[in-house]
Amino acid sequence: MSAQTIPLPSAARQPPRSQQLLALIPGTLLLFAIGLAGKALETFGIFLRAHHHYFPRIEYVLWAIILGLVISNVFSVPAIFRPGIATYELWLKLGIVLVAAKFVFADVLHIGGMSLVLVAIELTMSLTVMTILGKIFRLPPKLTSLLAIGSSICGVTAIMAAQPAIESDEQDTTTAIAAILALGALALFTFPLIGHFLHMGQQPYGIWAGLAVDNTAEATVTGALYGDLAGRMAILAKTARSAFIGFVVLGYAVYWASQGQASRVERKALFLWQKFPKFILGFIALSILASIGFFSTGQLTSLGNLSKWAFLPAFAGVGLRTRLRDLVTQGWRPILVGVLGEIFIALLTLGMVLAVYHHGAAQ
Amino acid sequence: MESPTPTRKLAFNADAAAILIALTFAALIRLNVIHRISW
Repeated sequence: MSAQTIPLPSAARQPPRSQQLLALIPGTLLLFAIGLAGKALETFGIFLRAHHHYFPRIEYVLWAIILGLVISNVFSVPAIFRPGIATYELWLKLGIVLVAAKFVFADVLHIGGMSLVLVAIELTMSLTVMTILGKIFRLPPKLTSLLAIGSSICGVTAIMAAQPAIESDEQDTTTAIAAILALGALALFTFPLIGHFLHMGQQPYGIWAGLAVDNTAEATVTGALYGDLAGRMAILAKTARSAFIGFVVLGYAVYWASQGQASRVERKALFLWQKFPKFILGFIALSILASIGFFSTGQLTSLGNLSKWAFLPAFAGVGLRTRLRDLVTQGWRPILVGVLGEIFIALLTLGMVLAVYHHGAAQ
Repeated sequence: MESPTPTRKLAFNADAAAILIALTFAALIRLNVIHRISW
């Protein structure tokens, strides 16, 4: 993930920094309120079931998403909350950096390294298939590029990083983002069902979710819905995948420049650094500190718990920013290309993960 | 068409902020300023 976003029109006047920060408060409070409500509902359910009353057995992760989905899709989120809702990205990255305390660095190298190999295969295949599907369904070429980048790497963040580099128009960008977000929401509900159906272990399921689900937030949630370990594995695999973002965006930028439809990238090393998701450095640093005995066992537990608190508002944000109506309003062709591409990627990565674990390579 | 929420630009660098907050908490926990965070 990177801090790149779609540039605002040059005519738009930026309010002062202090005003921008104040504007974050209502939406941030809403994220925390929804996350805490999700946790309270889980606790309430445990209490009711202990007293022989019926209450759905749903974990806080899913409660937070359901509450967010209901608020954003049944009601309309007032404009005052929108700037703060975007801070879900901060809470997500904070949670990821902190969860590194639960990893031994040797495992990060081993599983992350294995994930890198799988990611390289997944990237090559998914970029190829999405490009072919885009041609078959006659999507605009730059929309096809955005969908390919979004579905193969890092979802919305990759699309937003690519938009200025390949100079796609805002309509294509909005369509690609809406398609990727809507498809990510579908993964939340289908992947755990498939995992249980196939009796997958926590580790292979988590790596599968990290390799197949596009957005970091949705990949984290899809893993966490299966279990704590699956959630951490999904983060590790997804982080390895996100590390490729610069290379893929650079590849597309060079291609579109060669077609005379985008500016040339002059300083490629600087471009790669700008697109590199820097929070990964924080993840690696904390994992190393945790592995060399810098923290006691109790302190590591505290850091792990803090990461759960950070993920609460991030999970709420996943629900709040997902608009299911985009599945029908963006036109059927981008969605169909997205659905077919995602099914291909899900099956490909599932096959790879099962093959790796079947042969014991990951033990 | 209304732009989806995630295209909003944050007024700060989320990566740098996340690393800064995480390392600050890690230091406070390591120095026992924060004794325990439960879940």
